[in-house]
Amino acid sequence: MSGLDPIETFRQEAQELLEQVEQGLLDLARRPGDRALIDTIFRGLHTLKGSGAMFGFDALAAFTHHCETAFDRVRKGEVPASPSLVSAVLAAQDHMRALAEGTPVDAGAGEALLADLQAAIDGGDAAPAAAAPTAPGLNTFKIRFSLPADALINGARPLPLLDELRDLGEARVRVITDDVPPLDQLVPAECRLAWEVLLTTKHDRDAIDDVFIFVIDEMTLEVEDLTAAAIVEEPEVVEAVVVQEDVPVAANTPAETGRAAKSGDTVRVPAERLDEMMDRVGELVIAQSRLKQLAASSTDVALRAVAEEIERLASEMRDTMMVVRMVPIAQLFGRFRRLIHDLERDTGKQIELSTEGETTELDKTVIERLADPLIHLIRNSADHGLEGAEQRAAAGKPAVGKIMLAARQSGAEVVITITDDGRGVDRARVRAKAEENGLIQPGQVLSDNELLQLIFAPGFSTAAAITNLSGRGVGMDVVKKTIEGLRGSIEITSTPGEGSVVSLRIPLTLAIIDGLLVRVGTGRYVIPLATVEECVELTPAQDLRSTGRNLITLRDELVPFLRLREQFKTGTQPDLHQKIVVVATGQDRVGLVVDQILGDHQTVIKPLSSFHADVGAFSGATIMGDGGVALILDIPALVSLGQRHDAQLRAAG
Amino acid sequence: MTAILTVDDSASIRAAIKIALTGEGYNVTEAAHGAEGLDKASAGGFDLIVTDLNMPIMDGLTMIRELRQRPAGAGVPILFLTTESDADVKAQAKAAGATGWLTKPFDPEQLVRVVKKVLAK
Amino acid sequence: MTQDTIEALTFDLQGETFALEAGYVREVLDLLPETPVPGAPAFVGAVINFRGRVIPLVDLRMAFDMAVTETTIDNRIVVIEHPLDGEPTLIGLRADKVHEVTSITADTTEEAPRVGMRWRADFIRRLVRRNGDVIVLPDLDQIFAARGQSAPVTALHTAQR
Repeated sequence: MSGLDPIETFRQEAQELLEQVEQGLLDLARRPGDRALIDTIFRGLHTLKGSGAMFGFDALAAFTHHCETAFDRVRKGEVPASPSLVSAVLAAQDHMRALAEGTPVDAGAGEALLADLQAAIDGGDAAPAAAAPTAPGLNTFKIRFSLPADALINGARPLPLLDELRDLGEARVRVITDDVPPLDQLVPAECRLAWEVLLTTKHDRDAIDDVFIFVIDEMTLEVEDLTAAAIVEEPEVVEAVVVQEDVPVAANTPAETGRAAKSGDTVRVPAERLDEMMDRVGELVIAQSRLKQLAASSTDVALRAVAEEIERLASEMRDTMMVVRMVPIAQLFGRFRRLIHDLERDTGKQIELSTEGETTELDKTVIERLADPLIHLIRNSADHGLEGAEQRAAAGKPAVGKIMLAARQSGAEVVITITDDGRGVDRARVRAKAEENGLIQPGQVLSDNELLQLIFAPGFSTAAAITNLSGRGVGMDVVKKTIEGLRGSIEITSTPGEGSVVSLRIPLTLAIIDGLLVRVGTGRYVIPLATVEECVELTPAQDLRSTGRNLITLRDELVPFLRLREQFKTGTQPDLHQKIVVVATGQDRVGLVVDQILGDHQTVIKPLSSFHADVGAFSGATIMGDGGVALILDIPALVSLGQRHDAQLRAAG
Repeated sequence: MTAILTVDDSASIRAAIKIALTGEGYNVTEAAHGAEGLDKASAGGFDLIVTDLNMPIMDGLTMIRELRQRPAGAGVPILFLTTESDADVKAQAKAAGATGWLTKPFDPEQLVRVVKKVLAK
Repeated sequence: MTQDTIEALTFDLQGETFALEAGYVREVLDLLPETPVPGAPAFVGAVINFRGRVIPLVDLRMAFDMAVTETTIDNRIVVIEHPLDGEPTLIGLRADKVHEVTSITADTTEEAPRVGMRWRADFIRRLVRRNGDVIVLPDLDQIFAARGQSAPVTALHTAQR
């Protein structure tokens, strides 16, 4: 089509357009309110006018312009498509046809037609204003301008602008970097530079405005006419090298805050910076996952190669960041052995410290900040929790008191517990202390949990027996504050005579999960890979055989299983080849029956709101490569459920 | 080779633009309406897009707005064609993310001048 | 009643108009793919992906005993930031149709009547009369705390006052 002569193409096009407009008008006569018709007619007239002007059909363009204006007003709802209007435009069709074909027309006829049209709409139209140029002479301007931050995104380029200014005359350019944020806060796609240009030109101010015509509404522009003043020297106007277009203006910025690192040196970086970087890495992992998906379904070899490369880089970056930040809690637990030794000596009690989950990883800074609170909690257990040797003997407990420190990851949190097998919390004493210190009213009704939480209330621990161990000014309220400062929570549960458990829940800033992605019904779910033991098939035969007795024999062992389809009430029919994913926590196992195993999946854990946090089966969510959401299964919860069902079945015999 | 996408429902306008710009050594691809333009532009690789606003199926404003939200669309200069000097239209188009405009009617020299103005050299 | 004006976003649910303080509103979205959460109450039965965060999708119709009808192209999700159990949380609210942000002056509002209301009285902060219509200002704190559980209206309600 486009190999032809444009003018000939236009002629043909014009005829088609006129046809189209005419048909539209005829239809409109019968259906005056039809928006679609009005739009089509308007568009046709608009194109006719525009193209006509393009190719020298001035008369046609001028004439059509009036019709177009009339229909624009109809389109905007200012004027109805009255019968007289429609017929006026219809009548004009032949005239326009003639103009398009180039056959001679009667000017008077044209006028008459337009008069009719005018009568039909009763409106005026404005003539476009013309700008006027001005006079010469040599002028000097001091121009200072900056572009809006989103200019680059909308396609504007500073360099061509500067070049255009240079085209106007002699220009000296200086870049102003005052508004550029430090490198680590920099958003590369934002334009934060400003320029000062000293221009000597024979053009006038209008020419300058013309350069910026496309951005003039959004930019800041100051033009000072220095023509009168002497324009001789301008020291310190440095011709700054503004960077090549493709690279966003970031690269030229006065980057660091002075503390550059050579390899081997350490750098102190504010934690917030690392937090942001971690967020970016998390998002990068998600985006890279989408890229992987897209590339997989593409036949473009180059794309797939790049996608693989990016996957490798993202993975390395993630690992590096993780190494930088995530640290096993073992190093913290290690410190406490010494503490226990000292405590034993100081209290005269025998204490055994056991630990679990030492490989659980936490943010480095979080670990630092947990040290003091944990020390205090352990001291507290040793001091107040554990009884002396005689009391323990009297209670039938072993002489050695036990304190257990445990850590585990649960969804997007790490749960740390300090358990002791001591005397437990004396509710009466807590109540008394609280009333004594004015924290509660005498006789005020409190749930057990609320009562226990009072232990963390400020003003509670200003109480009587401050032993020299716990009285270091790190009270329980400070512990709670510290934990909450990490956006975590703290809780005590306790059984009188048996012991207490203090639980800390700390959210992970960047929790990336390696999971097995599965499908149950139409939903996708993630099973933490760390919990997966193996996957086996559940044949339809086995499925049928085991209704009511959900057990499967796995290497001579009976393993209970849960049909997630039923658990989640999907209402769907099971797949032909269901799979059982055998998961375990500690010694307990359960099989989870799913419709399909989709593969490995690695992505960032997103926390669920408190609406869903207690639903039970889920410990978090992740975002898939296609933007969809997959819920992460809470394996310990499901394992307990499986065990319970199993126990019930066994009991039922 | 600089790649330009021209989006217009008028075949003759597309032809005219193509001829003018090919003469300058640019590589010109055509699209007949906003949806086609969006498709082609989303694949990336264009240094400039010249588009009409009034088109069937998907008009120019919608195309520009949509395109700016996609990775391939951020940063590409987009010129729109407008008749006379309708300030409202210009404001709308700029708000949608257009870079600049070209007033109709225009001759080849004007087209080339404006194209050069927005193309990063 | 105090003479303050609030800027509120109004939206429809099953023929009733509700209003939310504009300050809570983060964004209004077209319907997005939702992921059901098995075991969750119908009031908040699904989650959505909002700019890389997984946020709950709340159906206020459950709190007001309304029927659940087919989705239309006018349906929107209003994303708000509101305290939930003490924590500021991003929450999506279903809306049949979203209207403009409008000013609501306190002197045109009334307390929810205790008698004769078919909804839980504590789910409603205020009612506003405007052009003969009634606009409901829901008490999101109460609704969220109750997880949308609406109690049936019994004679007990009338007896309470």
